[in-house]
Amino acid sequence: MSDWFSEPANWVFLVLALVIAVSAVRVVTSTNVVHSALFLVLALGATAGLFLLLSAEFVAWVLVLVYIGAVIVLFLFGIMITRAPTGPNVEMDHRPRAPAAMAAFLMFIVTAGSGLTAFGDQEITRLGDGTSTELIGEQLLQRFVIPFEVVSFVLLAALIGGITLARRDASPAEEEATEEEVQA
Amino acid sequence: MAPDIDYLALAPEITLAVTAVVVLLLDLFLPRRQKYWTAIVAVLGVSFAALPLIALAVSDVGDRAMLGGSFVVDDFALVLKGLFVIAGYLVLLMSVGYVESDRYYQGEYYFLLLMSILGSMVLASSRDLITLFIAVELVSQPMYLLAGWRKGDLRSNEASLKYFLLGVLASALLLYGMSFVYGLTGELTFAGIAAEGAGKAGEPAFIMAILFIIAGFGFKVSAVPFHFWAPDTYEGAPTPVAAYLSVSSKAAGFVALLVVLYSAFPDASGVWGPAVWILAALSMTLANLTALRQTNIVRLLAYSSVAQAGFMLVPFAAAATTDAVGLGEAFAATVTYIVIYAFMNLGAFAVVIAGARKTGTGDIEGWGGLGSYAPALGALAAVFFFSLAGIPPLAGWIAKLVMFGAAMGAGSPWMIALAVIAAINAVIALVYYARVVKTIWMDPVPATAPEEEVRTASVAGSLGLAIGLSAAVVVVAGFFPSLVTFFSDATKVLAGG
Repeated sequence: MSDWFSEPANWVFLVLALVIAVSAVRVVTSTNVVHSALFLVLALGATAGLFLLLSAEFVAWVLVLVYIGAVIVLFLFGIMITRAPTGPNVEMDHRPRAPAAMAAFLMFIVTAGSGLTAFGDQEITRLGDGTSTELIGEQLLQRFVIPFEVVSFVLLAALIGGITLARRDASPAEEEATEEEVQA
Repeated sequence: MAPDIDYLALAPEITLAVTAVVVLLLDLFLPRRQKYWTAIVAVLGVSFAALPLIALAVSDVGDRAMLGGSFVVDDFALVLKGLFVIAGYLVLLMSVGYVESDRYYQGEYYFLLLMSILGSMVLASSRDLITLFIAVELVSQPMYLLAGWRKGDLRSNEASLKYFLLGVLASALLLYGMSFVYGLTGELTFAGIAAEGAGKAGEPAFIMAILFIIAGFGFKVSAVPFHFWAPDTYEGAPTPVAAYLSVSSKAAGFVALLVVLYSAFPDASGVWGPAVWILAALSMTLANLTALRQTNIVRLLAYSSVAQAGFMLVPFAAAATTDAVGLGEAFAATVTYIVIYAFMNLGAFAVVIAGARKTGTGDIEGWGGLGSYAPALGALAAVFFFSLAGIPPLAGWIAKLVMFGAAMGAGSPWMIALAVIAAINAVIALVYYARVVKTIWMDPVPATAPEEEVRTASVAGSLGLAIGLSAAVVVVAGFFPSLVTFFSDATKVLAGG
């Protein structure tokens, strides 16, 4: 046990893990949607820290760029543009808490228990310094080039479908009008 | 260094991808009245995608593996790709009249449908966890959007949202299970996982990972208890989309399940066998009992498709208790069932689209006397519904036969119990399938039926073609079962039987 505490990386891990756990709980329990989003930023930022601790810089910065930079900002913009209520909202608080908490707790026991039995006594072997990004890039465009290309179609389909569903439909009369305009 | 790519092996996927992009570009430049060209291009593209499949099937190169065994084109992949192409073709035909008459965004509709077909094609070839997961996402993700394509209809909104939320939950479970498998074995390809995981079948984390993966695919194939989205989504989504969900999307889930369980976890069959046994028994029994009470034809088909998923799972459970030969038999039984189910269920949905147009309602009661004013449609409805029930000489009978054969071949008491459950359920299912046929042929025309002109109006040509093709397959395969078993036997390569 004293070995565990003498390793500074373990202290960093402890702090990060606590931050993740507390902010994850607050994401769910907060009644203010903006607060939830901000706690999510905190949880994701600390997760990026965990990846840095494992010297997986690329994954860490992708997490920061994509999740914190894009997804959360998009989320906040979404709240702003749709003029959703940003104050405390009682409707976000659901009555049946006990069964949900129970299910979450059981899930935690199952995943944590099996994770501990499988990996509990393993030493973490660090990757080489700074090569991981290069390695990921090479793997993406060689070994995993097909899923890489397929993901671009997943994104394109999401983009096209999302725009179609979100845009306001023109009424038949308006459509006729634009049609004539184009022809003229 | 460029990766080693076999372009002929990828040709069907490339054809589909190019077609989808062409459809999207065409839609941008076409005036509104000529949007039907997008449908024509989509149908042509899917037909062209079948050509390289045939070339691959007759070439004597054998299995084509590339990218370190992540993408394999073998007989199993070819048969399933053929099925996905034909099912996609039929759904496109069904969509033409439906989408046009309801003023949808046609170009985008066909684009998303083609994307989903592309996903299922990649899925049939994927032999590692990453490719498989991405392919599964490409199959389902356009469907989340298409389920909500009737924007003005609240039920369609509900269909899309429900399917999306539960689908994302399923994907999360799936990915979590996969991450544990990778962590335990250090391998991504199924062959590697099978080799590394051989001695790990008893580890709690490995068992949990397999159960998570089964649960994730359970959502995709809509097996009880992961079926909650199916009835609401099928009812609210545009009917051709519901047909696609119940056939291609479900078949894709089964293909993924087949590949993962048989080729990645062959030594852990003691773990997944009982889990699949429970899923099969629950799906058949609960879905059939609920289907008995349905009054809406699409909801009835939704519960019927959940129950059929249960029948398809029966050989999986059997495979866990037998030797290598039995494994191959069970594998082929599931593939046979999927192929036959695809045609009869697509046909049933096509009939429902045509019938709903004629009767103006989705309530089964409103379909009374359909046989008297549309005898051809009534007869075809009888063909598809009796085939779903498994009555000889229609194709559904062969599907049931190989399913029972696989279950009884295993011989263990548990499998005989499951066969008995399946037999009881086949009888229950006959009641509600036959009730629809009885309403169509023996009940009087209800007073609420639409005008004479609507009732006797001819069915759209493309829809008629879809119904005709499905009916031809269902009838011919029923008389010549060797046509289907020829293909499903070829798929045994994957199970080593």
